[in-house]
Amino acid sequence: MEIYLPIAEMSVHWLIILGLGAVVGFLSGMFGVGGGFLLTPLLIFYGIPTSIAVATTSSHLTASSLSGAIAQWRRRAVDFKMAAVMLLGGLAGTVLGVTLLGLLHRSGQSDLVISLLYVVMLGSVGGIMLNESARSLLALRGGAPAPARRRSGHAWIHGLPFKLRFRQSRLYISAIPPLGLGFVVGILSALMGVGGGFIIVPAMIYLLRMPTNVVMGTSLVPIVVVTAATTILQAVQNYSVDIMLALVLVAGGTIGAQFGVRMASRLRGEQLRLLLAILVLIVAARLLYGLVATPGVLYSVAVGGS
Amino acid sequence: MRPLALLLFLWVTAIPARAEDLVSGLSQDQIRITSNYTGTDLTVFGAIEGIEPADANATRDVVVVIRGPDADMVVRRKVRIAGVWINRDAMALRDMPTYYSVASSRPLAKIASRETLERYQIGVANVQPESVGTHNPAKAEPFRVAAIADRAHAGLYLEDTSVEFLGNSLFRARVPIPATVQRGEYTAEVLLFRDGNVVSAQSTPLYVDQFGFERRLFNFAHRNALAYGLTTVLMAGLFGWLSSLMFRSRS
Repeated sequence: MEIYLPIAEMSVHWLIILGLGAVVGFLSGMFGVGGGFLLTPLLIFYGIPTSIAVATTSSHLTASSLSGAIAQWRRRAVDFKMAAVMLLGGLAGTVLGVTLLGLLHRSGQSDLVISLLYVVMLGSVGGIMLNESARSLLALRGGAPAPARRRSGHAWIHGLPFKLRFRQSRLYISAIPPLGLGFVVGILSALMGVGGGFIIVPAMIYLLRMPTNVVMGTSLVPIVVVTAATTILQAVQNYSVDIMLALVLVAGGTIGAQFGVRMASRLRGEQLRLLLAILVLIVAARLLYGLVATPGVLYSVAVGGS
Repeated sequence: MRPLALLLFLWVTAIPARAEDLVSGLSQDQIRITSNYTGTDLTVFGAIEGIEPADANATRDVVVVIRGPDADMVVRRKVRIAGVWINRDAMALRDMPTYYSVASSRPLAKIASRETLERYQIGVANVQPESVGTHNPAKAEPFRVAAIADRAHAGLYLEDTSVEFLGNSLFRARVPIPATVQRGEYTAEVLLFRDGNVVSAQSTPLYVDQFGFERRLFNFAHRNALAYGLTTVLMAGLFGWLSSLMFRSRS
């Protein structure tokens, strides 16, 4: 059965949309990421206009990251001080991102820049994760214990001013790196329709050297607020949030996440990371192919002067 | 503007001809987009009046043109730079119809000369913008052709020979209105051709709009955008919270 989306002004098959939401929810439950990096390209591929896909995915991410954040908060695995610092940077990034998106849209280069961003971000993050997880899996197989995580962190981070004590993370570091991370998440959320978990989580582990058990919960808090703010900003500035699309996606995501979490409990952390890395690299490769392959039609048409 | 000018022109030129006239109507003068709207077929029907018995076997053709609301389009051409395809040249086409369909009783090329078809913008290939963003029309031509191809690919520019004659004077055509049409005012124009000339024409307005729940949501999103955005976030938040409850009951 088809439903009509009043904002996208098109009709879609609601089972397909529900299925998309469920698949992405499954993956986000399994890997603990929002899944925006998958959902936005999938929606565009299905035929939803880019601006609507980016904006509506934000609301889907609000739901999935909120549910994750509540679960982590019950386990007391949230460093609220760290989250608040990242959130400050995040809101500034969102405002800049929405402005940038408007500029790019008018110049006709938004699709190119968004695709390039996806390829670079997903390619590098996927590559790093693949490397790390493959190495630790190999080490495990060889019988040696997994290499112990260094607590020292990078030297340059310790040279920065404005140091704060983050008790829950057992860290005493400058406020600048978390602020910057939040800022990046804000820009990505507005520009790419992603929560940014796939950037922020590895960065918190490898750059800030936060304990893994608080990373997930802490990263989700700024993502909840930033994606909610992005949804509202897009609705007010661009009228590009489709509530019907959001409803079906979110419903699918809620169902899918249940199965994802159960699947995750059966797999090892390294295996999960390896799988996620492969998935991320596949999406990056597909987008790269779209950029370099000779298009079937050299012309693109934008209706409405934008 | 254009249908009006055309009608005036026809009125002036058609009067001296024989008093053959068109009467036509639409199966619906309003297309209602509701939650299960997946496109519809519009039936255009009519009759030719005042056919002289001695003249009954002359070749008459009926052409039905439906145009949707005009919009500005920007067409961009990709160029390969350093291995990556990048939008470089852009052309603005002002006031192109967002929907255009033509149905005729025979292939258009057999009904009238190319000049006539071009003048009345009959046929998908003859759709013209009101103006282009350059002083050199030849430069805009490939962009216009590309825009038409794009619209045709999207099923929004259509051309077929679906006008059927039922006897000598009654005719009927079925025109698809796909789900992706824009809301707004459309015009259905019925033209009667004799020996390659337009002898009569009738234009009927047609409205496409959202109704019911969809209409209310659309209005809500546009008139009260902040509250709409907040509602979406609240809805998402509710689902997220419900989902976390389900997680808890499992673990």
